Order: sequence, then C-alpha cells, then structure tokens
Amino acid sequence: MASTYTLPVQNLIDHLGRLPGIGPRSAQRIAFHLLKLPAEDVQRLTQAITDAKERVRFCSQCFNFAEDDLCPICADPRRDSSVICVVEESRDIIPLERTGEFKGRYHVLLGVMNPIEGIGPDQLKMRELVMRIGSEDVREVIVCTNPNTEGEVTAQYIGRLLKPFDITVTRPASGLPVGGDLEYADELTLGRAISGRRRLDD
Amino acid sequence: MFIEQIELVDFRNYERASFSLTAETTAIVGRNGQGKTNVAEAMAFLATLDSFRQVPVAALVRDGAESAFVRATVKHDDGRELLVEVEIPRQGRVNVLVNKQRLARTRDLVGVLRVTVFSPDDLDLVKGAPSERRRFADDALVSVAAKNDALRLELDRVIRQRNTLLRQCAGRLTEEVGFSLDVWDERLAAVGDEIGQARATLLAQLQPMVEEAYQQVAGARVAVALGYEPDWRRTGLAAALTASRRDDVRRGVSTVGPHRDDIELFLGSMPARTHASQGEMRSLALSLRLAVHRLVARTTDMTPLLVLDDVLSELDPGRCEALLAHLPPGQVVITTASPLPVAARPDRVITIEAGQVKT
Ligand SMILES: [Zn+2]
Repeated sequence: MASTYTLPVQNLIDHLGRLPGIGPRSAQRIAFHLLKLPAEDVQRLTQAITDAKERVRFCSQCFNFAEDDLCPICADPRRDSSVICVVEESRDIIPLERTGEFKGRYHVLLGVMNPIEGIGPDQLKMRELVMRIGSEDVREVIVCTNPNTEGEVTAQYIGRLLKPFDITVTRPASGLPVGGDLEYADELTLGRAISGRRRLDD
Repeated sequence: MFIEQIELVDFRNYERASFSLTAETTAIVGRNGQGKTNVAEAMAFLATLDSFRQVPVAALVRDGAESAFVRATVKHDDGRELLVEVEIPRQGRVNVLVNKQRLARTRDLVGVLRVTVFSPDDLDLVKGAPSERRRFADDALVSVAAKNDALRLELDRVIRQRNTLLRQCAGRLTEEVGFSLDVWDERLAAVGDEIGQARATLLAQLQPMVEEAYQQVAGARVAVALGYEPDWRRTGLAAALTASRRDDVRRGVSTVGPHRDDIELFLGSMPARTHASQGEMRSLALSLRLAVHRLVARTTDMTPLLVLDDVLSELDPGRCEALLAHLPPGQVVITTASPLPVAARPDRVITIEAGQVKT
C-alpha cells in the first residue's frame, strides 16, 4: 500500500507500530492524537521517555528495573534471601508483590525460551541465576513463569538446570488460568497459587 | 438449535442480504456463481470463525469494503435466543459479539452454534493428503468438547517452536541443543499423547456410526474401518522422540508425532483411497460428516445445523434419495444449482441471483 502521509507522519506511525501490542490502526490513531496535542504536552512526553531511559537500568543482582545498582527489593535487608522467585519480566513482580504472600527476592529472566523469536537459554538470565544459587544462601527457587507453552517449557528447563544443587525448586500450584498471563491474574488466585506450590523435580 | 435469520453485509458478493430460514429444511437455489455457497460459508463461519473453503479471512470481505459482517439469530432447543454477530475486517482480528457481549475466547463460540457442512470438496477426506483426515478428526474433537481446541493450539505451537529450534541447530546436536530439546520434547510428549488418545477414542466412537451412515447412503452392507495406529503410539511419544532425535536434528524437522499421523479408511478390507470408486468415496466422505453430526448431537444435547452445499447433484439419484430419506433430525439447509429432487421436500425455497434474494 502506498504511503499517503508526509514523511515525518509516516515515520512516527512506523515507530509507534513497532511497539508491543500496537497494531497499524492504533499506531495511526496515537500518531494523530500526538500531532493534535499542544507542543508542551509532547515535550513532557518525550522528556519522560528520555528521563526513564537515562535513569533506569537493570538491577545487577535480579535484573528488575533499578535506579541504583540494586533494585529496592534486593536492597531491602528485611527480604528473605533464601527464597528466589523467578519471573519472566519486571512487570510480573508487581502482581506478586500485591499478593503479600511472598517475602523473598526475585530473579527476572528478561523473557522465556522461544526459538521462533530467537530466544534460547543463552539469551536469558539463566547463567546469572545459577551463579546466584552458588553464591547466595538459597534454599528454594519458585519458578513463576506464565502457565503457557513457553512459560512451562522454561520452567522445566530451570528445574533441570538446578537439579545439581541442594535446593527445592517449585512451581506455583495450578489455579492460574491456563494460557493466561500472570499480569492479568487476580491477587487472590495468584496468592493461593504461590502458597500451594509443588516441587518441579517429581 | 437452529438459525432463524441470517444477514450478510459486504460478505463475498453480498452487499446486504437477509435470509429467513425454517427450523426444518430450507433450500437455497440459484445458478452457479450467484452466491449460494457464500451463504453456507457465512453460516459455517459463525460456528468456527474459519472458512470451510480454506481461504484467508480477507477473501470473505466484498471488493471495495473494509469489513464484512454476518449477523444471525440462533434459537436453542431450550428456548434461548442468541444474537451472534461477527465483524470480519480485511486486516486484523475478527470481532465476535454474542447478545452484544464481546467474546473473550473464540472457543466460547462452540457452545453457541454448531454447523456441519458437507461440500463437494469433502471428497478430499477420502482422496486427499493425511492432513485432510487429521483436520477432520481434530475439528470433530473440538465440536464435541471445546477444550480440545486448546490442546490443538498447544500442539501446533510446540511443533512450530521445536521445528524452529531444529532448524537453528543446523544439523549439529550439541549438548546445549540436547538440553533445550529435552524440555521441548517433554512438553510435546505430554500434549501429543493426549491428542493421540483423544483421536483414538473419537475414531472408535465414530466407527460404527460411519458404518451405519454408509449403509444408509450407499445402500450396501459393507464394513467400514477407521484405522488409526501410528507407530509412536506403541511406545508413547516420549520414547519415539528420543529414538528419532538424531534424525530430527539431521533433517531439521520433527519427523515423528501426531502432526504426521494418518487415519486410514477402509471399505471392506480395501483402503478406500486407492480402491474405492468415485461414488463410494463420496458416500464415505458424506458418512464421515454425518457420523460426526450425530455424535455431536448425542454428546452435547445440541442438534447442529446440517448444510448440504451443492452435493445433491454430485450423488447419483439412488444415493441422493437415500441421503434425503435418512437426514438426521434438526435444521437442514440445502444449496443447489440443479432442480431439487422431489424427496428434498423443503419447507421454504429461497432463490438468489447475483447476491440478491429473489423470493
Ligand atoms: Zn534486584
């Protein structure tokens, strides 16, 4: 289809369209909306993006978002360092924190095994997880990847990877909607799933 | 369950057309290319969100339109009345509303409307590639229990992931590749064994029903067998995957599993694909469809709609009459270009011409 917009507009639509969850129609709608905004509103938005990108990095221990070397959870001495909850993305930490059931620390994989997207164990923070088990005093790892195809496969992989260590590896109990995402699970369901977890190695 | 009213907007060659159907038999007649099959296609689309002609969804949108719409009033046996609406955009996702409520998952539609279509292309069930028969079995599994749809999607997904991994390793089975394959195989084995079991159970249930339908349609007492005995089922899929791993890595593709199965159809002791006549093949294909239709009616307490799309003219007069005499109870829609056989006895005849209802 031939482009009918001037170059800067088409360029903006193309960039927005590359963002996750934004299809061509939404990209167009957002672009038109931005162009109608007062200049200072657009300035504030670009500033917010630049600021976040400059100030936020990954926690050197768990790969959650952080403003310092460690994220607030890793820096908090009251957190139980003997339990690590493995999640796919930083966003998965928020619903788990809301349950109030979990007092340990996290480890963010930054994705799941997904050959179609070119992601294998080497592209994830797997090696870093193994290093943490070796150096911290960890008794249990809870693998809290999403209950879909890739999440289950990644959980099994972690279960096998951590087998040589003298620790318990668990998976939250079912009750999470199959094929659903952690992000959308309600606190009660997620809380129950965490407290009723099962061992991965049986 | 029956469709009382169906409206097509910008669907195929219809700009806007509305059809009122009876709870028993409605005939839709018209010359070829006027849009009879398009009505059948719209009805089936409401049930499966897919075209039985196996074309991309965009092909359903009328030239020059952005979206097609199909709207139908469905009456259930318990008196419930449902308004089912779908919007089919040229690009993007199909939108489904039931009684004006958006449907979260398409498989929720299975409980709303069930449609069995028999079309001339169904000859491929007997004559065609194994994939035709796998699709037949898996479609039947989904109509019987909607949860099977999740199983089928999961199998597709795991196979696609595993094949990509096999291609990526470029023929070399390193330790890391093996370690990753282990977990994909574990998942594939779990899903595959479940699908294998489901197919075997389904086919065992269908076998006597297919045989009965065949006797009714063909008027001949012949044993019909549905042979489903893939090698991997003897050892279980996990063991079969281990055995085929080197081969899979070398060829860069999953060579073993339910995605490669075939279902062999026998008439008497002979494989139908190679030994049956054209007429016998047609009768067998029709019997397969009728058997699923009856199984769905029996297991779900819901009489599906039966659509006979352009098939009466394909059958010889004897078989045609036998079919019409043994139609299952429930709503039937017959489309035809040739004169209706006397035995059809429709309650209503709708004539169409160039995407317009004439009567
Ligand atoms: Zn941290």
